[in-house]
Amino acid sequence: MAPLSAVASGPDITPASARSATQVLIASLGQPAPARTAFAEARFMHLLDRPLVVSGELAWLGGNRLQRRVAQPHAETATIADGEVTVQRAGRHARRFSLKRAPQLQVLLDSFVALLSGDASRLDQAFEIQRHGDAAQWTLLLIPRDANVAGSVASIEIDGRGKQSRCMRMQEADGDLAVDLLGPLAARMPAQPTREALLALCRGGS
Amino acid sequence: MSRRGRLLLLAGWLLVLAGLGLLVVQRLKVSTDLRSFMPAPTTPDQRLLMEQVGDGPGSRLLLLTIAARCTPHEDHAAQGLSPVTPCAPLPADQRDAMLARLSRGLVAALKHDRRYSQVLDGSFDLAALDSSLLPYRYLLSPTLDTQPLDEAYLADQLQQRLDDLSSPAASLLKGLLPRDPTLEVLKLAERWAPPTPPELRDGVWFSKQHEALLLVQTVASGFDPDAQRQAIGGVQRAFHALPGSAFAQLQFSGPGYFSVVAAAQTRHQADWIGRISSVGFIALLLLAYRSLSSLLLSALPIASAALAGIAALTLVFPQVHGITLAFGFTLLGVVQEYPIRVLSHRRAGEDALHSVRALWPSLLTAIASACIAYLAFYASGVNGLKQLAVFTIVGLLAAGFSTRYLLPRLLPTRVRDVADMRWLALARDLVDRLPRPRWFPVLVALAITVMLILAPGPFWQNDLAALTPLPAPLLQRDARLREALGAPDVRYLLILQASTAQGVLALSEQLQPRVDALLARHAVDALELPSRYLPSAARQLARQRKLPEQATLQRELHTALQGLPFRPGLFQPFLDDVQTARSLPPLTPQRYARTPLGQRLAAMLVRRDGHWLGLATVSGVHDVAALQALGACRTLVGRAANPSVRSIFPPLRRPIEPLWADEASKICPRTAEFSPRPPKPDRLLGAGSGGTVRLLDLKAASESLVAAYRTRILEALLAATVLLVLTITFALRSLRRTWHVLAPMTLATFLVLAVERMAGIEISLFHLVALILAGGLGLHYALFFERDTGDPAEQRRTLHATLVCVLSALLVFGMLGWASIPVLRAIGLTVSLGVAFHFCLSILMAPHAKPDDARQD
Repeated sequence: MAPLSAVASGPDITPASARSATQVLIASLGQPAPARTAFAEARFMHLLDRPLVVSGELAWLGGNRLQRRVAQPHAETATIADGEVTVQRAGRHARRFSLKRAPQLQVLLDSFVALLSGDASRLDQAFEIQRHGDAAQWTLLLIPRDANVAGSVASIEIDGRGKQSRCMRMQEADGDLAVDLLGPLAARMPAQPTREALLALCRGGS
Repeated sequence: MSRRGRLLLLAGWLLVLAGLGLLVVQRLKVSTDLRSFMPAPTTPDQRLLMEQVGDGPGSRLLLLTIAARCTPHEDHAAQGLSPVTPCAPLPADQRDAMLARLSRGLVAALKHDRRYSQVLDGSFDLAALDSSLLPYRYLLSPTLDTQPLDEAYLADQLQQRLDDLSSPAASLLKGLLPRDPTLEVLKLAERWAPPTPPELRDGVWFSKQHEALLLVQTVASGFDPDAQRQAIGGVQRAFHALPGSAFAQLQFSGPGYFSVVAAAQTRHQADWIGRISSVGFIALLLLAYRSLSSLLLSALPIASAALAGIAALTLVFPQVHGITLAFGFTLLGVVQEYPIRVLSHRRAGEDALHSVRALWPSLLTAIASACIAYLAFYASGVNGLKQLAVFTIVGLLAAGFSTRYLLPRLLPTRVRDVADMRWLALARDLVDRLPRPRWFPVLVALAITVMLILAPGPFWQNDLAALTPLPAPLLQRDARLREALGAPDVRYLLILQASTAQGVLALSEQLQPRVDALLARHAVDALELPSRYLPSAARQLARQRKLPEQATLQRELHTALQGLPFRPGLFQPFLDDVQTARSLPPLTPQRYARTPLGQRLAAMLVRRDGHWLGLATVSGVHDVAALQALGACRTLVGRAANPSVRSIFPPLRRPIEPLWADEASKICPRTAEFSPRPPKPDRLLGAGSGGTVRLLDLKAASESLVAAYRTRILEALLAATVLLVLTITFALRSLRRTWHVLAPMTLATFLVLAVERMAGIEISLFHLVALILAGGLGLHYALFFERDTGDPAEQRRTLHATLVCVLSALLVFGMLGWASIPVLRAIGLTVSLGVAFHFCLSILMAPHAKPDDARQD
C-alpha cells in the first residue's frame, strides 16, 4: 500500500525526446495499485448557500475500481466498480446506480485512474489536455472529449508539485464546483472555505 | 367425343378452376387464432384461457439477449467488408460497454413503435412517468400510507439529501431535488422495477453468460405466428440498423418466438417432404399407366376438390382457420383414389365413359357415404369442425363428379388394359389363394383388445405443447433467461375479478399483504399485482387527504430547513407539486394508458363481459397449493365509504358492504384490512360489487379444452359411423355385404390405435384426424374388393387400382412418418399404418372372387 506521497521517492522516469513533457509528467505520477490518499472536498452548489465539506480517503483499487470513503461529517463509502456505483451509508440500504447516469463520476474515474496509473494515453482518450506551469508547480486542465459528459462536466483542473497531485477542481457545466484537496493538503481544508481561498491554497506556494 | 369438343371441355374446366382460384385469392382470410378452431369453452377457466391464449401478459413477452461475437456479421464478411480472421475477444469492460450501448440503442429505437407495449433493458427512465403526471407521485407512492409529510419527516429527508449531495450520487439527484426532496420518483422506480432484477452492468441487465438482457412485450398475441414474425422482424431490423451491431448477436426466446419457430419448422419440413413424395407419386403413376396425358388430366379432379372446397369455405365462413386447411387437405387425400380407379379400370379400346359407368356405383357409394359421415362433423357445432366438414364434403363431391362426368371425356381413347399384365394375374392368384378363415376377424379383435389393455402410459395426449416441435436447447435457454429476468411463468395466472376496474385494483390492494406473506415464505418467487402500477382511486384519495395544505407544508418545511444550507425558496417546485397533487382527480387506468407504464397496466387489466379482470403474473412457483389457497379466497371490494369516491365513480355510488362467502371465511385469514360483518344473503355477490380471486392454470385449462374438443370429435365420429353403416347398408342392400365392407374397416382402424398405443404413443387430435382419413381410404379398398363382378379381369383391375392407391398413400404419408415434427409424424405414421392394415384386412376378409369360394365363405 503506497501512499501517494511516496511518488517523490519513486524511480525516475527517463525523459524521451519523443514524448511530450505532459506525457512525462503524467507517467511520473503513476504508482502501483492499490494507492490511497487522504482527501477533503468542498462542494459549491447552486442549490446551497454555503459549501458542503467532507473528508476521508480516496483509494484506487486497481483496474477501473475506485473507492471514496468519507469519514467526516458522516460515514459513507462509495465504490465504483464494473460500471456501477454503490453508495453505502451506515444504517441504510446501499444505493446502486449505473456509472452512465453520473457523468461526473465517469470523469472522476477516467482522470483519477489515468493519473494514478500514469496512463497518459487513457487520459488523452477521455480529455483534451493542457498543461500550465513548470515541473515544480504545474496545473493540468482536462476538458472532456465526450459531448455528453461535457454537457455535465465542463473541466477538471489538477494542481501539483513535482510528482505529487495536490488538488483537483471539477467545474460542472451548471456552475457548481467541487474542490478536492489531496494528500497532506487535505488537512488544511478551512472550516468556512471559499472558492478563492481554496484556489489560493491549491496554487499557493506554502 | 371429338377432339375439338375435348379441347373445349378442357378449356372450360380449366377456366372454372381459374375462376375458383381467383375467388379464393380474393376472399380467403386465413386466421391463426386458435379460438376460431376450438369448441366454445364451457367453464370460466376455459373461457378465460380462450381469451388469454396468447393474449396474457406473460405470453406476449419476448426475451432478448445480445451477446458479443468475435467475428463480424457473416453478411459483412461475405461482402468482403472485413476479414474473417478470428479476432481476440474484447476485454470484459469494453465488451459490456458495447453490449450495453446496443441494448440502450435498441430500446430507444423500439420505444415509440406501436407494435411493442413495453421495452425494458434495466435502465430506469424517469420519462416512464410522464412529466405531466409527476405530481401524481404522491398518490402513487406508498409513502403517505405510513408517513405524514410533517416537519420531522421533512427534516430527516432533507438531512439525507444533504448527505446525498456530498456523495457521488449528487449529480443524479441535483436536478430532482427542488421538486422531489423525498425522492418519491425513485421510490416508484424501485417499485416498478422487475421483482427480481438481473445483474446491472453499465446500467442495463446482464446475464451470468455476459449477454445483455431485454424484455419486449408485443401488442400482438403470443400465438399469432404472423404478427409475432412481424414483431420479431421489427426488432431485428432495428437492431441491425444500430452501429456496431455486426459485432453482436441478437437472440430471441419466449412463446411468441416459439410459435414463429414452430410454424416455420413445420412448414419447412412439410415442404421438403411434400416435394420428395410428389416426385415419387408422379413416378409411380407414370410407371403404372405409362401415359403423361392421363397423369396430367387425373390431377384435375384433385385440383377441383381443393379449389371448390376452399371456395365454398370462403363463401360460407368469414375466416378460415389455418388448422382447418391443414386438416382438410389431409382428409382430401382420399380423392386421389378417384382418378386412379378410373385409370386402372379402363379396358383397351373401350371408351373411358364406359369404364366409369361400370365403376360408378361403388365409387358413388364411397363418396356418398363419406359425405354423409362428414355431415356429423357439421352438426357438431364446433366452428373448426364445421369448416372441416364443408371443405371436405364440397371437395369430395367436386372430385367425385368431375371424375365421373368430366375426366372420362378427356382421357385418350386408346390405352392398354392393365388386366393383361402378367404380374398382376400372378398377384391376383396369390391373393385369391390366401386363406380366409372365419375366425380371423375374431383373432384380430382379440389381439386389439389385449394390446389396448396392455398399452403403457395414458391413452390420450392432452398437452398441445407435447406436439410443439421445439428443440430442447431452445427450451432450456428460455428457462435460463426466464429465471435470470424473473420473467413471469406462462403457465399460472392469478385472476382478480370485479365489476369495475377500480374494484379489481381495490381487490389487488387487499391481496397484497397475503401475497407478501407468500413471497416471504418463498411459495413463489414473484407475484405482480395490477395495483403495483396503479393504486385504486380510493387509496389515491386517501393519500391525497393526507397531503398537507400549502400554508401548513410551507411552515413545516421552513422549520425543517432550519440550520440546513439549502438556498431559500429552493423547494418552491415541491410546494407547487404537493399543491397540485391535492386537487388532482385520481389517476384512472384510461388516463394512465397513455404512458409507457400505463400500457404495462393495460395488459394486466382487461374488460370482459361487463366485468373487469386483473391478471397478476406469477414467476417461480414452488407451492401451487398455497397459490391456489390465495385464489380460493373470495375477497371483496373494500368499503367505498368515502363520498368523494362515490361522486367520482358513479358505479360505486351505492355504499358497498364487505361480503364474505362462507367457504372463504374458513380458508382465508381475516386481515386487518377487512372489516367483516356477518354476510347478508341479499347483498352477496349478486350485488355486483364483490370480487373473486382465482388461480388459472393455463396448462390444465388448455388440457381440459383439448379433452372437451376430443369428446366432440368422438361424438361426431360415433354419429358418422352410424350414418356410414346406414348409407352402406342402403347402397348395398345386404347386411352380409355391409359386413364385408365395414368389418375390415373397423378392425383396421382399431388395429392402428392398438399398435400405436403399444408403441407408447399417446393419441392426440392429429392422430384422430389421420385415422379418419385412413378410414376413408380403407372404405374404398373394402368396397372395391367386395364388389363381385364375377369377371376375373375386372378383379385384376381392382387389385391394380387398389395397389396403386395403397402405394401412393404409403409413399406420401410414409414420408411424413419420417418427419421430426411430432404433428407431421403423427399424421404420417397413422395414415401409413392405417392404409397397410386396411389393405391387408380388406383382402383377408373379402369374399373370395370365385363364385364357389364366395358361397363357402
